[in-house]
Amino acid sequence: MAIHKLFFVRILLLSPCTALAAQDLLIECKTLAIAPDVVVSPGAFLVRDGKVAFLGQEIPAEARAKARTLAWPTATIVPGFVLAHSTLGQEQDLAERAVAMTPELQAADAFDPYRTDLGQLPRYGVTGCGLAPSSRNVAAGIGALVKPGKDKGRIASNATFLKLSLTAAARDPERPPTSLMGAIDLLREGFLTAKRGVQGGPDIAVLGQALRGERRVFFAADTFSEIQGALALAQQFGFEPVLVGASEAQDCIEQIAATRAAVVLQPLTMEMRGDRLLLPQRLEQRGIPFCFLGNPHQLRTSAAIAVHFGTSRKQALAALTRTPAQLLGQQDLIGSLRRGCDADFTVFDGDPLDLSSALRAVYVDGQQLIGDEPARITTSATGKEAR
Amino acid sequence: MKLPALTLLLLTTALIAQDQTTVYKGARVWPGGGAPIDNAVLVIAHGKVLQLGGPDTQVPDDAVIIDVSGKSITPGLIDAAWNGLAPSDQNEQGSESTPALHALDSVDARSNGFLKARRMGVTAVHVMPGTMNVIGGLSAVVKTFALDPTAMVVRDEAALRIALGAEPSSGNRAIRGGSVDSIYYRRPTTRMGVIWEVRRGFYDAQDYLTQTIEGGKPQPNRDLDVLGRVLQGKLAIITTARSEQDLRTALRLGREFGYTPVIDEAQEAHFVIDELAAAKVWVMCSAPSADRLAGSAGQDGAEPRFSTLPALAEKGIPFVITTGTNPLALDLVREATFAVRFGIPAEKALDAITSDAATLLGVADRIGKLATGKDADLVIWSAEPFDPASQPLFVIIDGNQAPTSR
Repeated sequence: MAIHKLFFVRILLLSPCTALAAQDLLIECKTLAIAPDVVVSPGAFLVRDGKVAFLGQEIPAEARAKARTLAWPTATIVPGFVLAHSTLGQEQDLAERAVAMTPELQAADAFDPYRTDLGQLPRYGVTGCGLAPSSRNVAAGIGALVKPGKDKGRIASNATFLKLSLTAAARDPERPPTSLMGAIDLLREGFLTAKRGVQGGPDIAVLGQALRGERRVFFAADTFSEIQGALALAQQFGFEPVLVGASEAQDCIEQIAATRAAVVLQPLTMEMRGDRLLLPQRLEQRGIPFCFLGNPHQLRTSAAIAVHFGTSRKQALAALTRTPAQLLGQQDLIGSLRRGCDADFTVFDGDPLDLSSALRAVYVDGQQLIGDEPARITTSATGKEAR
Repeated sequence: MKLPALTLLLLTTALIAQDQTTVYKGARVWPGGGAPIDNAVLVIAHGKVLQLGGPDTQVPDDAVIIDVSGKSITPGLIDAAWNGLAPSDQNEQGSESTPALHALDSVDARSNGFLKARRMGVTAVHVMPGTMNVIGGLSAVVKTFALDPTAMVVRDEAALRIALGAEPSSGNRAIRGGSVDSIYYRRPTTRMGVIWEVRRGFYDAQDYLTQTIEGGKPQPNRDLDVLGRVLQGKLAIITTARSEQDLRTALRLGREFGYTPVIDEAQEAHFVIDELAAAKVWVMCSAPSADRLAGSAGQDGAEPRFSTLPALAEKGIPFVITTGTNPLALDLVREATFAVRFGIPAEKALDAITSDAATLLGVADRIGKLATGKDADLVIWSAEPFDPASQPLFVIIDGNQAPTSR
């Protein structure tokens, strides 16, 4: 079993086993993508208390024997997909429309754990989602990482990125700013105030966190001039933004690379113009991290279309898993199946980037949300039947 | 004789690029701010003009020589009041007075407006905030093409624009009973109110400056900082005024606060010629051709006249010609053609859309003339530039041929 060295350096996370703790799960499959660049075959990992506790040969024989084994001898298991940016249909709750400058608002405060949109995520293999304040405010607020669950969802982190927006939606004729230059200037003024370090309100404090690199900036910008404005602000104030939308990014790839920005792209559809379909490949060539937003069902198709148009499989899988996790600052928790990560994974009966591969099962925090139990299963204490 | 020259020109188009020395030979070159040179030799290298001279000018050995006999070459045209961008991006309606806004932030480098402008020989434009605000903000001079869009900027913070007349107050509403459910329930709603807004800004700026001078530390305020720079003479101020009363007001405000405005639009300048001459102002005359539509082409109740430019020239008032905010304006070169038609010498009319415009906008060190060391922004015309049948054959910006189609 070829296992990458990296996970040996991980700190062993062991929770005390009590009588109340759920039984460990031993997952076996044909192919396991621990991360986009670490794929092993056959694969096996042990889930304990909702986390990945051991991988492959690391699994102690004793734990292996005691665990409930789920074996998918022909399946491919990959980390659960992460949707970097979505309002999960809660647009109304996530757009504070009275004023445009509300960087201190927290999307977590509007999170509805029983929301249908959230419950639908696992159907498409999505196990984590960046819940973002709406693009209608210039400085919209702070995003949260939310996860679906068996009965209800939960907030995994309530303080991720700062969401800014220069899109047409952020320019409202009934409140300032009404124009792009007004929107850019509003942010410039805010950042200048934060930079001066004067005592400001909570809004200025949040902008200060972005300036010091303590909080990632998600910057919604679609058109060429909006992207230019976002990059100019990033350069002036020295932060590395994540462009959200970026429909016209193909015309400013060099500047995006120079600003060390990442891009959350609109989902790809085959009807799009050729240069937009080739954009993921061009971003990959320039080393610009990218992933996708949009409806959860469009995530996997977008990645598959990107592969169809020249993106490497590794990068396309990263766009579904590791890249959005990194952009959300949660790469130690989600987006891969390294030891200590949440046991969020999807079971496909083939390569997930091959659209004919069916989704067999989805697990979040070690709990099965979607799918059937595999054929070969055992709960015996000795584990003899498992292998 | 002419046909081979044109063929050669077409064959060499692919070669017109920055990194080689190119010589344009045989054309009539209008250098901008001087008499035309016949059968001239124009040497371009590394995006700059290396040399311009008569037929016996020395040509570098390694140069690509392009025969442009029978053609005319002018500096790239400069539109000192250009409105080729979307108005919704140019007007920030959140407040009537927005001095610190940068029009540059609204510039979409890929706008069709740039394409349209350079098709007709315009290589640089002055982008101002729109006229829906009393104090609109800071303008910028940008080229209409650059290989790297960020290199289009020639000068940011070129001037502050303020707009007088009925336009800035339009859309504002008075509060009469009823609930205030819109940001447009605000002053000003009249011409008088517009001036009140200007005065308030400058009085606040005076206060701000006084506090600073007296060693106090006022709360930093970018708006007042910009207005303060105008009062200190560190920043040019352009006042958009079309009708007679607005023109007089523009001059009066200048006297009141001790600055010399540049008068923009000035459709009724012919009524206040003596006042303009006495105030020693520059005039940015918009769309001199508007009189062709006999009375219907003025904006804000103004009456444009063909005779305006000759009257300005006669009094020695410096002017540039622009397309301005008039939606009926023709291409910039055609507007200058109208000036020639009504008595402005061709050389002077060309200066008004090249070298004089560059001087007014503070960018004469780079553009506006074809002289050694200036940017290689030029237009090769099929005939004399003010011949109504003349077309730009090639538009060259920073030594690169600018695309004139998508």
